[in-house]
Amino acid sequence: MSSVSVPYAEQPQWADVVPLPQYEGVEPLAPIFYTNEYKDATDYLRGIVKTGEKSQRVLDLTKHIIQLNPAHYTAWQYRYETLLAIKSPLDVELELMDEIAIKHMKTYQVWHHRRLLMTHLLRNTDEASTSSSSRSPSQLASTELTFIARTLAEDAKNYHTWSYRQWLLAFFNDDSLWDRELDFVDSMLNHDIRNNSAWHHRFFVVFQSGVREGEKDRDRILRREFTYVKQNISLAPNNASSWNYLRGILDYNKIPYSRLTSFVQPYTVPHADVPSDLVDLEDPPPSRGAQLPSPGAIEFLADVYEEEGGNSILKATELWKSLASEHDTIRRRYWNSRMKEGLRAIQVKS
Amino acid sequence: MAKLTPIDSYPTPTSKAQSETEEILLAHLPAPDNELPQLNKNSHLQFVARNLIQGFPARYVSQDASQPWLLFWTLQALSMLQVVLDPNNRQRAIDTLLSFQHPNGGFGGGPGQMPHLLPTYASVCALAIIGKPGEKGGWDGIDRQKMYDFFKSLKQPDGSFTVSRHGEVDVRGIYCLLCVATLLNIITPELVEGTPEFLASCQTYEGGFASASFPYFVPVSSEPSSDPKLLSSPRPPLGEAHGGYTFCAAASWILLKPFIARSSPKPSINARLLTRWLIQMQGVRSELGGFKGRTNKLVDGCYAWWVGGCFALLSELDGDNATNGDEQEELGTETDEKDDDAWTDDEDIELDDIWNPEALQEYILFAGQHPGGGLRDKPPKAADAYHTLYCLAGLSAAQHRMVPDRARRKVLEALWTDNSDQVDGHSHKWWMKEVYTHSMAWGEATRRKRNILGGEGNRVNATHPIFNLTATHTEGVMAHFYQQPAPPKRQ
Ligand SMILES: [Zn+2]
Repeated sequence: MSSVSVPYAEQPQWADVVPLPQYEGVEPLAPIFYTNEYKDATDYLRGIVKTGEKSQRVLDLTKHIIQLNPAHYTAWQYRYETLLAIKSPLDVELELMDEIAIKHMKTYQVWHHRRLLMTHLLRNTDEASTSSSSRSPSQLASTELTFIARTLAEDAKNYHTWSYRQWLLAFFNDDSLWDRELDFVDSMLNHDIRNNSAWHHRFFVVFQSGVREGEKDRDRILRREFTYVKQNISLAPNNASSWNYLRGILDYNKIPYSRLTSFVQPYTVPHADVPSDLVDLEDPPPSRGAQLPSPGAIEFLADVYEEEGGNSILKATELWKSLASEHDTIRRRYWNSRMKEGLRAIQVKS
Repeated sequence: MAKLTPIDSYPTPTSKAQSETEEILLAHLPAPDNELPQLNKNSHLQFVARNLIQGFPARYVSQDASQPWLLFWTLQALSMLQVVLDPNNRQRAIDTLLSFQHPNGGFGGGPGQMPHLLPTYASVCALAIIGKPGEKGGWDGIDRQKMYDFFKSLKQPDGSFTVSRHGEVDVRGIYCLLCVATLLNIITPELVEGTPEFLASCQTYEGGFASASFPYFVPVSSEPSSDPKLLSSPRPPLGEAHGGYTFCAAASWILLKPFIARSSPKPSINARLLTRWLIQMQGVRSELGGFKGRTNKLVDGCYAWWVGGCFALLSELDGDNATNGDEQEELGTETDEKDDDAWTDDEDIELDDIWNPEALQEYILFAGQHPGGGLRDKPPKAADAYHTLYCLAGLSAAQHRMVPDRARRKVLEALWTDNSDQVDGHSHKWWMKEVYTHSMAWGEATRRKRNILGGEGNRVNATHPIFNLTATHTEGVMAHFYQQPAPPKRQ
């Protein structure tokens, strides 16, 4: 489509615009060699920005530039201001942007533009709440969540997409939307248990977005989360994401690490040492295929001992030593420093 | 042979990508008895010079809104390689950079583009490298008052800043703003009010920092005119812990320390959790010790700087809220002592590394260098301007142990001339001296220098752990804008 585009200079409807070249009186160092099409379009954008015109043709021009370079934030900014100035329907704009978003999902501007649109669309639904034709806020957000899920299916760890999803949930803050998020996390983690973005999303939903109706029983929530993360650790004990999630729950809720000692222990030793008749629903054992011991488990158990203090620190020291010399040698100096710190703590006490 | 990251007989897309990458990386390890790894300075220099003089090919159109970055990456890469630009190209660079300045303040991604915090950092830092005072020197062509007004116009009620008008909020923008405001001597308590609290809210349960956080507001009274109140909780991070944002947040925090010390209640970050996360980001042997930017993502050369560069910052983040200022009478004796222990006198500096800088040097030298010149994310990717700089900067962070140098700060304090009455005609600005002496006093620890893998020929210049400029460039531009005498040469 863009390869056959007619230069703006040859289009009669652009005849009244004076294109502005990028560099005047400067011989630039390190210039970019633009295609003719790109140079032409951006010359006309500079011309438009200079006169301050806001019109339908500005939307055409900025769309053209965005397709050639979605990181052109000035084109986005000017487009947004034009949309508002000429009262262009924003739901149409949102749909128009779907294709560009999927194609250029690694670009900041693509997602930020949607945020700006959603902000206005929500305001509009508030104002038009009496009219039956407009969609409700939760319908609006729900459609958007579906769209986000579609793009995450193509790029499951896209940072901007995930943070946009989190923004959207917080911005609409509607219980009917929050309620479905854990199923969504599940579907993402079922696809890839190591997707840290999905783990972070779970933490965001469960712990960091306030306590919603139906979640006032925090003990129940905690039990649910412990069960969830333990099962995931048992499937893949070397998955750093699930260990971090477990630590996150404990830190956030100020629960001592020792609460997990019996669960963690079997993960800190080679397989042969794990009793084979272990059937414990509370503390699921490592899967058969697990490669043990898991450094994450050893680190965790050492933290338990360090927390206990006193002579337990010597037990922690043994574990750190095993990480430093055998199970996690790249971090040798870190584990050594933990050892020193632990031993210093004993000396201070005695 | 290093063993691959365990996948627990449970393959997923993450573990498959991980294993594939490790196979490729291990193939780049030379045989054990091979000659020492070389940094191919000449071919990198040719790569950089070609970009600079001949320009960038059409695929760089995606960087059209980042033209100041192309210049900064290139010029700073030259600085790392200890190469100086000839006067003619220097002047062209200055003229090019000034053409990015917007009439309303700040710099855009190119001529005629709207001002934006990221290209503003890149432009000002590039000018710090090649500019000088006086007509056509570039430095005095920066409109500082308009820059300040531009910064103020971006301020949000939660203490953050948008990157541009109607732009997104994130900690990269804040880092860029704070670097520029510090270098140009336009930082004020008013400008950064609430910013530390915003940064603190971006720390995630993993310990690293996210792009931004979400502010929840409640109405204060029924009066519609009153501003809603920002809740301190919930204030959730948006996005997971990430190397780039973590560097920006940590460096920003240090730049804000003089202001944090005087705020009450003092916001805080969890330095211990941050340390653990940074440590966990270093790849294992089968990843050649490179850094990744997020949990369960692949190693990438640029995180050598964004994550590897954070370790130098940790000493200033421990002991959290202290500013180490002599004149901080409100600081308790306990914190004072702790600070003194941490870095007062050279003899007592805790010089033990807690990370693995040798392994990082291996990653850069074995995997980061493209055979055709320039540096890269990882093999088999192509080299580019961005990765060339940040691989070199990361290599520098691994070669040089940068610390806040107390002795140097004493020298700067003794030389300090209080011009604040004359500067901009404003009354005394208490923070100026502190901002100046703290920012300028970073240096390489003189004792127990790190091993330079592959020998002296591989040495690259040291770079400022916050600004990513050499000491010479930092001191030149700051002495100018703070109207201070040129500091004495370091030994
Ligand atoms: Zn990279």
